[in-house]
Amino acid sequence: MSLATLTITGPLATITLNRPEQRNALSLDLLTDLHGVLDRLHDRARSSPEPHVVIVTGAGRAFCAGMDLKQVLGDPDAPLTLLASLAEASIKLRTLPAVTIASVNGAAIGGGCGLVTVCDFAITHADSKMGFPEVDLGVCPAVVAPWLVRKLGAGKARAMLLRGGLMSGTEAHQLGLVTECVESRDGLDAATQSLAEKLLAGAPGALRATKNLLNSIDGSTDLELARRSAKVSADVLATEEARAMLRAKLG
Amino acid sequence: MITISTREHAGTRIGRITIDRPDKKNAFTPTMLAEVREHLRTLDGGATVGDSSPAVGAIVLDGAGAAFCSGFDLSLCRDNSDALGLLLDGLAQVIRTMRECAAPIVIAAHGAAIAGGCALLGGADVVITHHEAKIGYPVVRLGISPAVSGPWLAQGVGFGRARELLLNPTLITGWDAYRLGLAHECIEDAGKVRDRAMAVAEHLASKPRCGIVATKRWLNELTPAHDAAELALHTSLTLVGSPEERQRLAALWKS
Repeated sequence: MSLATLTITGPLATITLNRPEQRNALSLDLLTDLHGVLDRLHDRARSSPEPHVVIVTGAGRAFCAGMDLKQVLGDPDAPLTLLASLAEASIKLRTLPAVTIASVNGAAIGGGCGLVTVCDFAITHADSKMGFPEVDLGVCPAVVAPWLVRKLGAGKARAMLLRGGLMSGTEAHQLGLVTECVESRDGLDAATQSLAEKLLAGAPGALRATKNLLNSIDGSTDLELARRSAKVSADVLATEEARAMLRAKLG
Repeated sequence: MITISTREHAGTRIGRITIDRPDKKNAFTPTMLAEVREHLRTLDGGATVGDSSPAVGAIVLDGAGAAFCSGFDLSLCRDNSDALGLLLDGLAQVIRTMRECAAPIVIAAHGAAIAGGCALLGGADVVITHHEAKIGYPVVRLGISPAVSGPWLAQGVGFGRARELLLNPTLITGWDAYRLGLAHECIEDAGKVRDRAMAVAEHLASKPRCGIVATKRWLNELTPAHDAAELALHTSLTLVGSPEERQRLAALWKS
């Protein structure tokens, strides 16, 4: 069973993070499958204009619980491999020619919330839990930071990342992290569909060109920066202070 | 006129720097700005962002009395155009030092944060204000350019809003500042802003230091403003002593 699945129905595609028993936490295997799905979409875009809109969501109750930290603690080389894989997947997701919507069905935490930030649009419900609690664990949300700076601006991103913690979907909406927030989980799929349909009214060529321009001017295609962000984060994870903190938190 | 204190909270230390000249609405003299800068460095243990062990876990910058800070003490500039240059330079250095501190910095913007007082908000990591606070950069009225705060302001609110705020000498409310991103939390009660800022600082200081220090350093690297800040200071300094500024400032004392 693939840990990241892709379904395409005409102009609309859905990527589902599919590791529900671990709240879709980003393991190396999941990220490998996610890369596979994103590569397929990039390949397809060379010959087909469709899909025009891609929804990203999570199987089960969570959207994505973030980095699989247990895997990180076991192997000293794992952090950099994992973080670099996330950083590169983020660029692949950002540079999809299709417009992307994160449909945040439940918890979107740390690197999981980072994937939300990379998407063009995000939609959630009032009770979801979102945010970047990295600093609470003694680690650094370096991979996410450039995307959050692009999304919210430097000042808001700074306050959000340094304060850490989690917020409700309602708060995430007030702070600009998501485009839209519906009252309950029950209404999310219909609202996501509705947003997708609105976006599908745009002409595909115009959407592609516009998205491409925005990616160029906000630095989204900077692979070197993404790789360095993985290194910055991995260096913090390698410190004894951070490792001791994580061991204590993860039991 | 600048007081400094520290307090222990749950095994960490929080520093507090208070602008303490309430009879002048905490207006800055060049000496006060130099003191703020020195205290920031002292509390931070002389450390720059490159070091991992700041002496305090977080720093609160606040003002005594009814207002956080009304900007520069312009009475010093009445007969002395050098004073304004010293004030602008001192302000730029304080903002830069706030960024360089490894410890996160929380500003309690209660009452008023005007001109140079408003410029300080751009150097903070978290700003707390209240609905009715008066905030803004009305100095173009006086022939003074607020360019010195431009790069930092733009990081907070975006270039479009920064343009409006710097060119329009009208003050905005704390609530508007929050909506624009110049403040990160807005409460109802002006009298509780300083306590709230201390609570936020305690919360920040309670987090493991390795993550906070690395995150602030990385954010600084991602959003550099030093080159622009040099140009911005230079722009503000260029106008110092101009006939326009001399006339406008002189007019302040005539009425």
